[in-house]
Amino acid sequence: MANLSVNLCGVELKNPVITASGTFGFGREFNELYDIGVLGGVSTKGLTLEARLGNPVPRIAESRGVILNAVGLQNPGVEYFLKKDLEWLKSTGTAVIANVAGKTLDDYKNICKKLDGKVDMVELNISCPNVKSGGMAFGIKPETVEEVTRYAKSGLKRTPLMVKLSPNVESIAANASAAERGGADCVSLINTLTGMAIDIERRRPIIANNTGGVSGAGVKPIAVRMVYEVAQAVKIPVVGMGGITCAEDAIEFLMAGATAVQVGTANFTDPLVCPKIIEGLNAWCDRHGIENISELTGTLQLNGK
Amino acid sequence: MKDYLATIVKNEQIAENIYEITFDVGEEVNVRAGQFGEISVGGTHLLRRPIAICKVEKNLVTYCYQLKGAGTRELATMGAGTRLNVLMPLGNGFFVEENEPKIALVAGGVGIFPIISVLREYAGKKQISAYVGFRNKGAVCGLDEFKKADKFVAVTDDGSFGEKMNSVQAFVADLKNGNRPDVVLACGPTPMLRALKKVVEEENLNCYVSLEERMGCGLGACVVCVCALTNGKNARVCKDGPVFNALDVVL
Repeated sequence: MANLSVNLCGVELKNPVITASGTFGFGREFNELYDIGVLGGVSTKGLTLEARLGNPVPRIAESRGVILNAVGLQNPGVEYFLKKDLEWLKSTGTAVIANVAGKTLDDYKNICKKLDGKVDMVELNISCPNVKSGGMAFGIKPETVEEVTRYAKSGLKRTPLMVKLSPNVESIAANASAAERGGADCVSLINTLTGMAIDIERRRPIIANNTGGVSGAGVKPIAVRMVYEVAQAVKIPVVGMGGITCAEDAIEFLMAGATAVQVGTANFTDPLVCPKIIEGLNAWCDRHGIENISELTGTLQLNGK
Repeated sequence: MKDYLATIVKNEQIAENIYEITFDVGEEVNVRAGQFGEISVGGTHLLRRPIAICKVEKNLVTYCYQLKGAGTRELATMGAGTRLNVLMPLGNGFFVEENEPKIALVAGGVGIFPIISVLREYAGKKQISAYVGFRNKGAVCGLDEFKKADKFVAVTDDGSFGEKMNSVQAFVADLKNGNRPDVVLACGPTPMLRALKKVVEEENLNCYVSLEERMGCGLGACVVCVCALTNGKNARVCKDGPVFNALDVVL
């Protein structure tokens, strides 16, 4: 039995597997299939100050090895989450990471204030590609990444802040550094890549929003590369995600520099994938004589060096 | 609800572009009429295919699907003995009250398959009239099942089988003849359901419709497959539905 626990900027996770925002709701539905208390953490559906209805349907499409989605941040609002879901989610024993989005700098600060001291961590969504008001405007340039991080951080006295980075930018490493300067306690990446899938019979995009965020197994090499680049650029911990479907995928991210990982799209392919990954990590560590999984972080050796 | 590693027993074409697939799921399952499963096609297909459950006989669960895209085309190539993950049963399903002895079933296209599950659950227990529409003669299937109804009318869009009309028109014609049901259960293309909703509103009939939408998780977590409710809110087709009171949804 390897020790799978990791310390993510002061938050003790029982293992490095976190479910990614938007694929897992607030955990209740998946808890009908398995005890979600086995998870290292749950990153909630993106929360906003007010409830949002989201985008028109269809909101999802498939392309070989990937999916596209444009849900548009449908959520019941942060107050509803605090009243109806938080206590239950905490009672499962998993770490609760509240994913938040906003339209303005003040939105980010105010929503963080509401969550401060109540959740284990806040994940800042400054990179939702599917809504104009989803913070994407903040997530592109380093200057605004730093500014929005600083605002959010000013609303958090007790709860650490994770900033989720967009891959649809000039330099994700530069944006990670900007988040670090703004006071981020850790960063997570990658959010989805903007894409399009076309219904050729109708000559229209499948997704009502026309474009959607691409995720799933096919994006993994891009995500691993970006996690490596970001891990080289910052001193704060990195949480890696993008196309993880098994323990071996997760280990790639850890070696590239991630302290923990998030699993998103794979929950749709196999709703039991996260417990399987956790078991697989344990088995892999045992086979390789690894006592603490945290030993793997950043152990990648580049060829020719 | 459970993720079954299910073995294909039979997978064959039953009409133009329509396949019937039967799985052995290894144990007896309790399924309500109108519930569905999420079939994992595997390979590069990351999303499962949400398909209505048509028949259940002990360990055997039968689904019918239309060839629509790469996933269903791949599914059609799979033979007996192939094992696939099937998450089921999902969704709320149809429910007929004790005080509703007369049921009208209105179905169009692939919408007939969840309606067949209703027929199988309530045949002999309720007085059932079924109105079923197909595109043309080549698309006609499931007749053996519909013959279990007390009354059965099949029509086609082009008149190549039965009368040239759609299932809603067939239902309305019978309604005008005085065959008035206690509840109408329907599934089919949205324009068909929209036309039916107009009829049931005018006639003040109780009506439930089963909706279809592109899905993500199938469990209600990802809020991908929503439909708009008349109260201004969204409902999840996979979890709150797929069956809704026709008056509650915007069609």
